[in-house]
Amino acid sequence: MSLTSPLFFAFLAAVVVAYNISASVPYRRTVLGLANAFFIGSYLTDIIQALPLLGFLLLGYVCVRVLEVWKAAVALGLGVLSVLVCYVFLKRFSFFEDLGHLPFPYLMIGLSYILFRILHMMVDVRSGDLSERIGPLAFFRYTCNFLCFVSGPIQRYQDFRATDGVAAFDLDSAKVYDAFARIITGYVKFVIVAATAEYGFSFLKPQLLQAADLPVLKLYGLYAAAASLYTVYLYYNFSGYMDIVIGSGILLGQELPENFDRPFSARTFLEFWQRWHMTLSQWFKFYLFNPLVMLLMSWFPAPALTAYLGVLAFFVTFLVMGVWHGTTAVFVIYGLLMGAGASVNKLWQVAWTGRLGKKRYRALTDRTAYIYFSRGITIAYFVLALTCLWVPELSDFDRLIGRLGLTGILGPFLAIGGAFALFWFVTDRIVPHLTTPTFLLSIRDSLIGRNLSLASKMMAIVVITTLLHKSPDFVYKAF
Amino acid sequence: MKHILRQAALTFVSFAFLYATLGALSFLMFPDSASEGQRDFQNAEQTLYMTVPKYVFLGRSVLNSPAEKAILVGASNTGVGFIQKTIQSKLACAKVSNLAVGGANISEAKQIIDMVHEVQSQADRPSNTFVIGVWFGMFVDSDVKYADPDRNRGETDIDLEKYRYGFYRRTLEGPAALLPASWLDAGVLAIRPILVIEKMAREARAGVNLLLTGRKSAQRNEAEREAAGMSEQDKKKALDYWNEAMGKRNEISLGQVEVLKNTIETLLRSGERVVLIDLPIPAWHRDASPFQRSYEQAFTDVSRQFDGQRSFVSMSMSDLSKEQDYSDEVHAKRHLADVWSDRLANVLNPFVCRTSPEQARVSLRGSDQFKAETHQ
Repeated sequence: MSLTSPLFFAFLAAVVVAYNISASVPYRRTVLGLANAFFIGSYLTDIIQALPLLGFLLLGYVCVRVLEVWKAAVALGLGVLSVLVCYVFLKRFSFFEDLGHLPFPYLMIGLSYILFRILHMMVDVRSGDLSERIGPLAFFRYTCNFLCFVSGPIQRYQDFRATDGVAAFDLDSAKVYDAFARIITGYVKFVIVAATAEYGFSFLKPQLLQAADLPVLKLYGLYAAAASLYTVYLYYNFSGYMDIVIGSGILLGQELPENFDRPFSARTFLEFWQRWHMTLSQWFKFYLFNPLVMLLMSWFPAPALTAYLGVLAFFVTFLVMGVWHGTTAVFVIYGLLMGAGASVNKLWQVAWTGRLGKKRYRALTDRTAYIYFSRGITIAYFVLALTCLWVPELSDFDRLIGRLGLTGILGPFLAIGGAFALFWFVTDRIVPHLTTPTFLLSIRDSLIGRNLSLASKMMAIVVITTLLHKSPDFVYKAF
Repeated sequence: MKHILRQAALTFVSFAFLYATLGALSFLMFPDSASEGQRDFQNAEQTLYMTVPKYVFLGRSVLNSPAEKAILVGASNTGVGFIQKTIQSKLACAKVSNLAVGGANISEAKQIIDMVHEVQSQADRPSNTFVIGVWFGMFVDSDVKYADPDRNRGETDIDLEKYRYGFYRRTLEGPAALLPASWLDAGVLAIRPILVIEKMAREARAGVNLLLTGRKSAQRNEAEREAAGMSEQDKKKALDYWNEAMGKRNEISLGQVEVLKNTIETLLRSGERVVLIDLPIPAWHRDASPFQRSYEQAFTDVSRQFDGQRSFVSMSMSDLSKEQDYSDEVHAKRHLADVWSDRLANVLNPFVCRTSPEQARVSLRGSDQFKAETHQ
């Protein structure tokens, strides 16, 4: 079910109404369970396509239940291994082709995020952070929550459980308006900004990849423009999707975690990942980075090494996070680039803190030139690294990088970084001086003004949707 | 729950208010031009509909009348080559509409014919004369022709218009109507606010273009086309383009030839008349293109197949192939379009306006300007 389809709107409206009709907890949980099943069913043309997903869920549930009674490390290790093998098999990673595959088409949407939820439950059950016994229906409602099914956010079970069909939740007219506004803003991002960027990107990409004899400057320009447009598309598509599901969650009493916090204002690569796809970053921090640092520290306990172990752990964590994004060899390159970005960033911090001391290093990072320089290179690095996501075949990727050469990468890197730094510099100088006249503010904030503002956005969404020749799709669905 | 319902109602009412306001505005800005059975669809840009495919799709209900009609379908060379007003002025007995859509292949021309039928009753069909303008560039399979990155492969411009406003839905078999054709005008009325915003957006873009480049669009106007010529390099580019665009090596799509045959057969069977025109292209293009030979063979085959049917006539204007009469490798300049239009009017007059085929035959023989055949 596409988020922009009339079926989704009808479905969402029906679920919200059905959920809020009664305050009975069992009733509300039944509504959520049925909604999840209907949502997943909308992706199927044959029930057999759901069997692998059901098998994966069953395996995860069995692992969680086993860990409730057998909390040994070996049990967790075996459980994690079996779930990962099953996941890799079902996702058909190109470098594990020898594993073979099922001889029929099946549903793969949602598998990645279900994996995160299952692993989190297993680890938390074993550590005792999750002590309650989890029933199969609660497990299904959590792992297959239709709002987060396709692409998150990754919510902890404990947080989900706190709002799972609760009898009363605090919902006043202001909160409901905010929820509506959030959903509509999400669609503005998704349908207008992201789709427009994708429109431009889809015209530039074939020119970049197919044309053989482009003049050098045009090639570099095309690459910089295509990479930038893809980033705009990715961000607004994904963050728009998040606004839609978080806003919808409010109407269903769910407090879904935020996934973005102005990522393009980040000054460092590590800060960027604290603001971009935050629930994924946090998941990796809790379940990979922290255990890895602890393990490395137990192997190399010398305090002088601690910072460098952190660098290594960052590299491994970001490498795995990058590889998770796709099933081809190019995603290993993406992982290496992410790992390199994170570890070099950490190494830089360690080196300069050691050289200047914490106070002077902080003073350095607060200098205007440093701020905009680091913002520029952070974003430029991320923008160019994303090339792996839009050129996922190794042969195409190889050919593109070969044609660009070092100059073709450095040139766009500097151009994007410079443009971005300049943009932020100008924005930071101008925006604080912009003020809206009081009478306009009072009109905007009045009941009529607020609702006409929503209606105008809806009108813009309808118009742009009709202008597009293809329905916009959710980009992270593929990951 | 009450907060949710209240907010839903407020949002709905605000949206409805805005929508109705824009709808009213659309009538003030673009009053509905009542037209009796004809419109100059090539003038889409001046209307609320903006583009020919949209105008053809949304404005075709005017063709629902028992009056005699001459309806032109084809690609852009039919659009610019046959001037609706010129033909209309010489064809008193029928209403002339030029429904040619730029870049159309035979399948899309057939879609347009089908759309006309959708809004007409079976009884009115014998009043139709379909003029189908063809050249080799129209015989390309849809999967090859319509493969831009911003559309689903194989979807024609008409398909896009069908899906755009939800009047049709996508199915594996192609567009399936959600809105019955009899409700077309009501549907168009309902989407007028959207059309007016689209129109405003397009005008704004044209304004920006004018500001930045000194012209509203990249398309050449009539005077520029009249003055245009092609260098040897332009000609080579054009040949390369068509070699690439045809998707086959040296021959046209036989599938499209079949579509044309079936279309003509269906039209004749339902009592409609067909004028099939072999549209000329400049001689240099005709002689250099590897596709022309298979096209000419196909045109002859199709013409022969319907030879002897009183409602069919084929027409060729191969003598009109001087390079200087064309603005590019396909399109006739305005002065040549006047000649094309005259010739077509001369064919249509006896064919459409006189009921006796003999009269038509005599009239056609009387003209030495064109080569045409009628078949009884």
